[in-house]
Amino acid sequence: MTKTLALLFASTALAAGVGLPAWSATRTPGDGASQSAVELFDVGRERAPLVLVSDDDDHEDDDDEDRGDRRSSQTDDDDEEEDDADDDQGGARHPAPIAPTAPPQNGLFVKGAPPQVQVN
Amino acid sequence: MKPVLAALALTASLALPGVATARPVTLTAALNNYGGDGAYLAIYVTDPKGAYAGTLWVSGGKSKYYRHLTDWHRATGGAPAEINGITGASVGAGRTLKITLDLADALIDAGYTLHVDAAVENMRDSPNEIAAPLTIDGAGKPVRGRRYVASLTYDM
Repeated sequence: MTKTLALLFASTALAAGVGLPAWSATRTPGDGASQSAVELFDVGRERAPLVLVSDDDDHEDDDDEDRGDRRSSQTDDDDEEEDDADDDQGGARHPAPIAPTAPPQNGLFVKGAPPQVQVN
Repeated sequence: MKPVLAALALTASLALPGVATARPVTLTAALNNYGGDGAYLAIYVTDPKGAYAGTLWVSGGKSKYYRHLTDWHRATGGAPAEINGITGASVGAGRTLKITLDLADALIDAGYTLHVDAAVENMRDSPNEIAAPLTIDGAGKPVRGRRYVASLTYDM
């Protein structure tokens, strides 16, 4: 009788030791107070923000770059004139703005003094 | 009393180098009537050895065209860190760009040279359009450009 009880106790302990972690891992989140180790790791993963990185400021017209540039005296001659409405008139319609931020600390400028710019 | 005066002199000598190390300089670039779109300009400085020292201003907002400012782009790669806060719109033909900035005194009469690279869409690039030594004597004297810039003057 003692042997049977010991065997029963051992098998129960073994089942609990092996079965509980497996059962815990397969549980779906939010169904109770207990939380599996997998869920604990998933918490951090879910909180990571989704970051979308833009390639550059002129991605919408990058296809023009490959077509050549008649302006250049070199071999690259892309067709860049289509998307230049804001630049082409330069000072005519869009005078150069005053620099909004401090200039870079390159040793040429006094710290924090942005250039004042005017186009006539 | 003497130790106090000595300490005062020492602190003054340490503090003074940080004061009055710059002067206001106005750069005026008048463009020719070259009959094209707005010009991209890079205004930058090289040291006495001819090495790139830094950028003062870039006219033209689209970074993909910066490679046409050939010499400047070769030195900087058009890196945003070089030009953050010192860019504006391109300058139209026949117009005048005037920039006032506080330039470090150490650049004046010390062998530094002011350069302008220029580029216009569908027209030839003009690297080193202007190269003018930064000197007291050169202040107020217009320097002619090669292609797009009629003259560049710096006043201090």
